[in-house]
Amino acid sequence: MSALGELRRIKGTSAPKSRKQNTAAFLFLLPWFIGLALITVGPMAASFALSFTRYNLLSPPRFIGIENYLRMLQDERLHTALAVTFQYVFISVPLQLGLALALAILLDRGLRGLSLYRSAFYLPSLLGASVAIAILWRQLFGVDGLVNVVLGWFGIEGQGWISNPETALGTLMILNVWTFGAPMVIFLAGLRQIPVMYYEAASVDGANRWQQFRRITLPMLTPIIFFNLILQLIGAFQSFTQAFVVSGGTGGPVDSTLFYTLYLYQQGFANLNMGYASAMAWLLLVIVAALTAINFWASKYWVFYDDQD
Amino acid sequence: MRGNTRRRIGVVAAMGAATMLALTACAGNAAAPTDEAPQLELSDEPVTLSFTWWGNDTRHAITEELIAAFEAEHPNITIEPQYTDWAGYWDKLSTSVAAGDIPDIIQMDEKQLSTYAANGVLMDLGGLSSVLSTEDYPEAVLGTGALDGTQYGVPVGINSYTIIANQDLLDQYGVDLPDDETWTWDDFIATAQEVAEASGGAVSGTQSWGFEDGGLNNWLRQHDSALYDADGEIAASEEDLAGWWEFLLDATKDGATPDPAATIERESGGLAESFTATNQSAFGPWWSNQVQALRDASGQDLVALRVPTSKGASDGWAYYKPSMFWSASAKTEHPAEVATFLDFLANSEEAADLLLAERGVPANEKIRDYITPKLDEVNQTVVGFLDDLAPQVGDAPAATPPGGGVIEAIIDQHTQQVLFGEMTPDEAAASFLEQLQQALEDAAV
Repeated sequence: MSALGELRRIKGTSAPKSRKQNTAAFLFLLPWFIGLALITVGPMAASFALSFTRYNLLSPPRFIGIENYLRMLQDERLHTALAVTFQYVFISVPLQLGLALALAILLDRGLRGLSLYRSAFYLPSLLGASVAIAILWRQLFGVDGLVNVVLGWFGIEGQGWISNPETALGTLMILNVWTFGAPMVIFLAGLRQIPVMYYEAASVDGANRWQQFRRITLPMLTPIIFFNLILQLIGAFQSFTQAFVVSGGTGGPVDSTLFYTLYLYQQGFANLNMGYASAMAWLLLVIVAALTAINFWASKYWVFYDDQD
Repeated sequence: MRGNTRRRIGVVAAMGAATMLALTACAGNAAAPTDEAPQLELSDEPVTLSFTWWGNDTRHAITEELIAAFEAEHPNITIEPQYTDWAGYWDKLSTSVAAGDIPDIIQMDEKQLSTYAANGVLMDLGGLSSVLSTEDYPEAVLGTGALDGTQYGVPVGINSYTIIANQDLLDQYGVDLPDDETWTWDDFIATAQEVAEASGGAVSGTQSWGFEDGGLNNWLRQHDSALYDADGEIAASEEDLAGWWEFLLDATKDGATPDPAATIERESGGLAESFTATNQSAFGPWWSNQVQALRDASGQDLVALRVPTSKGASDGWAYYKPSMFWSASAKTEHPAEVATFLDFLANSEEAADLLLAERGVPANEKIRDYITPKLDEVNQTVVGFLDDLAPQVGDAPAATPPGGGVIEAIIDQHTQQVLFGEMTPDEAAASFLEQLQQALEDAAV
């Protein structure tokens, strides 16, 4: 049943009666619709049209059919960028969600000064994508950075973490994992929603902590995990600032931090291939949409909704 | 491909060298006063012109003063400044053009000039010649701002590629400053190694290179080749390119340069974090207009040296690079006022008093003679360096063709591949040519 139908059933109202209310609702929504049309749908349509053109920003676009899309098959740097981005997403997002869940459970224990901790852990999420943090990261993981100073105390000789092709992407993954605050807060809210009576019943039956977590907490939390997963996946695919600042816009060393969006930016603004960059944007949209669709399909098998019969 | 280079052998009086490029430029008598040049009439109404440039805080302050001085002379003209740093400049300019909002006066770079000109963004300055005189510019230098005989930019300053040596560090480790009139690339590396060993690794011999096109241009010219030919085609051979990266790789392996990771980290940190500016390397390749900033940052005695040569290289490989151009929008509604302002920037002593050598040693010879005594000690040595270099200076390199603006990114990318062993110099050379060719084809209008 659709969400709207559900709502009607609950409210006990029938469709004709609510038409007036609908008009009012649409009026209230109008500013948002205008914004959506002007700021999102319009540019999207334009970028779709541009993806079939050669456009250097300086002269009017010229139609070239699907050449841009064919070119993507041959473009080795694009393939590098895809590999880098997939690695980044599929390693850092699970780690980030795991850490967020672990800390949420820890904080849910009724720690004294909970709100202070919650705010402190949430802070990186607000700052994570900012230029300032990316610059801080450069300082931390540089040759003379704090990380190497600390390693030096233990007699370990560090290296330039952000300037070494083997480790540069890893430092960006750590940066993403560090911004676990937003999913953590959502997990915390989710944990609060689980009725205490389940745990009481379980402990009466002799279930230990682990069994309670495994059998009650996790299943009850799956919708929240699913929600966070979708949100963080989409966000991670769109990461740009960190790589841009840490690599000085090059995606280096040796293209090891060449995020998809960074390469798109290079094509659009450095090479002035705005048509190709638009086509790349649509490929990214298709990839993210496909992954999200797969996730929704798979969710049938692991996400448990309490209100299901 | 090598046959395409038309370099003349022998000593050329540099500033006055009549180059092929300049000849083509002069064939159309681009910016010289002609009868056909339209008479420009200044408006009595208030006029606002937008003026965009890139730079650092020092330059922004100087340019604001310039604008104030000009506005004081021309009360009805208001100049609206639009400035950013280099990194954001081209994003902003290209999007402004796309939005149909082209600034009236544009500070232009050699690597972007042809791209903007080919797309009809820039004005033919020859049409302003009744107000904007270019007669005090040497033809060879003026020619660098012309494409196919049309003058799209007035050169502002000139630079040359140089090896900066840190005299204090050399003294400290008891290494003699090499004679830069005779030194070869092998001498350069040997001296760098000597410093690195004498310091026990505390400082490196020379900063690495391969992150911009100046070093490559010099190397190719020393090998009787060039980056581009006069038709805007790539003239560099795979062999010469591979040789350049091979040499860098060997120097790195021999310990003359810092290890690649350290190099990459400093490279993205800009001038202030460089090994030269922080007194951590005895040598470093730079442009002559960076000497002042490096001296300020380092606080030590930095000396500009000529680039080493390969054994048997003929003279004429060195060149004066225009630091930047003054250009104007082809769509400006106020050509007369634009011409007046450009004339003020390019030819007036009043502007020169403020500009000094901050945008490079003035390309305008009259202004250059006027301003040299007023420059501080460091900039006087830079002028001296450029003068001394003259016997080695040959034709200006052929203009960068449209789309060639990305060359720095392509060079940087391949140098990283070579330094970290992901590509051999031969592979890098082939891949470089492929990517540069692609960029030029993409830009074909």
